[in-house]
Amino acid sequence: MWYHKPVVNKELLQSLPNLRIVASSGVGIDHLDLKLLSSFGVKVSNTPFIVSTDTADLGMALMLASSRRLVEGYEMAVSPDTENFPADWLGTQVSGATLGIVGMGTIGYKVAERAKAFEMKILYHNRSQRKKEEESAVGAVYCKKIDDLLQQSDFVLLTVNLTPQTHKLIGKRELELMKPTATLINISRGLVVDQDALVEALQNKVIKAAALDVTYPEPLPRDHPLLKLKNLIITPHIGSATKKTRRTMMEEMTESIEAGLAGLPIPREVL
Amino acid sequence: LSEKVQAIYMWWHRPAIDRELLQSLPNLKVIANSGVGMDHLDLKLIASFGVKMANVPHAVSSSTADAGMALLLASARRLVEVHHIAMSSDIDYCEADILGVKVSGSTLGIIGMGRIGYKIALRAKAFEMKILYHNRTRRKAQEEQAVGATYCEKIDSLLQQADFVMLVVNLTPQTHNLIGKRELELMKPTATLINISRGAVVDQEALVMALQTGVIRAAALDVTYPEPLPRLDHPLLKLKNVIITPHLGIKTDKTMYMITEEAVENILAALNGLPMPSEVLPS
Repeated sequence: MWYHKPVVNKELLQSLPNLRIVASSGVGIDHLDLKLLSSFGVKVSNTPFIVSTDTADLGMALMLASSRRLVEGYEMAVSPDTENFPADWLGTQVSGATLGIVGMGTIGYKVAERAKAFEMKILYHNRSQRKKEEESAVGAVYCKKIDDLLQQSDFVLLTVNLTPQTHKLIGKRELELMKPTATLINISRGLVVDQDALVEALQNKVIKAAALDVTYPEPLPRDHPLLKLKNLIITPHIGSATKKTRRTMMEEMTESIEAGLAGLPIPREVL
Repeated sequence: LSEKVQAIYMWWHRPAIDRELLQSLPNLKVIANSGVGMDHLDLKLIASFGVKMANVPHAVSSSTADAGMALLLASARRLVEVHHIAMSSDIDYCEADILGVKVSGSTLGIIGMGRIGYKIALRAKAFEMKILYHNRTRRKAQEEQAVGATYCEKIDSLLQQADFVMLVVNLTPQTHNLIGKRELELMKPTATLINISRGAVVDQEALVMALQTGVIRAAALDVTYPEPLPRLDHPLLKLKNVIITPHLGIKTDKTMYMITEEAVENILAALNGLPMPSEVLPS
């Protein structure tokens, strides 16, 4: 399975009586009905860990590109109308700023490791608190209430799974709790954010900017208001899109499929 | 008025400091520059008038290092290209066409390991990058170990091994055209050149050729020569594998504030006859 295609529903499963395994690319499995698949005796695997580093890298890339206005800057630098670079054209400092990580799993933790080297102050919100040694290694402070994180962060980065609990986790209320100078970065799933609320927040400068690797749907319809906003960077779900990682993902998926077909224990099985 | 002027705080190379200006300001004691590069100033001329000079090395280092990393990541992951794809009306693209290059675990070669270069090394280490560096002098062993950096006495060795080459040198007669045809050909064809130093450190024509013919994979330039590049069909403005940014290395709200603080500190020290924290001497 690559990028959620084909769609695995009852009709498909009924039409494939000998289907033994669905190997899904990437770590997210929110697009799969695990109960349904289990009821047909079909096993499921994903590629959870290999994507973590590239996705963390992309989170950092988006934060830096957004704060330093890289895309705008590029357009200015190459525009036929540019005669001079204005002296008062400024971005926002990353070094020394406060990063709030929502979802401190493997990817979230890797983001924290990277952000620490930029002398960022790190806050995190997670279902459970990490061990003390893990927290001290990256200088991360636990925020049991997401509100505390939202109110203090200059950058809010989303790295949660999509579950019923995280669906629209960031809505109008949460955006209003954020600083007006803050930036939202989403590398998790489009549905974690209430997109309509985000459009309003960006239009009315409730928050300063956003950078999204994920939206709902992907891609967005071409007349979507998000595409008209200037204070927004969108990338087409490229979290794991490097040659090396994609190759490894395919190797892992093949390995899982072969094990599944041979009736052996399946590496990276999702239960 | 010209008798009253004792200090000049320069803002983006203005005013131009020439003999005429210096002659017209008999009581000028100090010129403080709002950046770290001094290549736009005739240091000997200024010193000959008994005027002291200062730059602001501490204020600029973090934001410039951040900008270097921002460019490295944006180029590796093709951020500008894919942003345009995501925002445009033409959404038919092949996924294989938007694959980028893995940053974590790759090799970064830093040319110029001063304050800014070292801050880049600190950041790159967190991305599990292998770090090579070339510098006029070798850093202390503890400094090298803290970032896991390996010294390359010969620049060739760095160029041959690096996946990303980052230029962080001052512009001097020795570093003018430091990266030319020969150096670009030593680089891997999969490598990326990132320049956050000065445009003239790179032989721009050689760079254009190298990018057009696949001698290197891509470049990301915060600095060019001149700035901005002439609009009439300059090849660098049209290449797909180039990101150019408008010399934004120090341009953040916080850094602007720190620059002014550091410049004023130097000016006050000079006016009070005290040692200046970041005096620049002609050499």
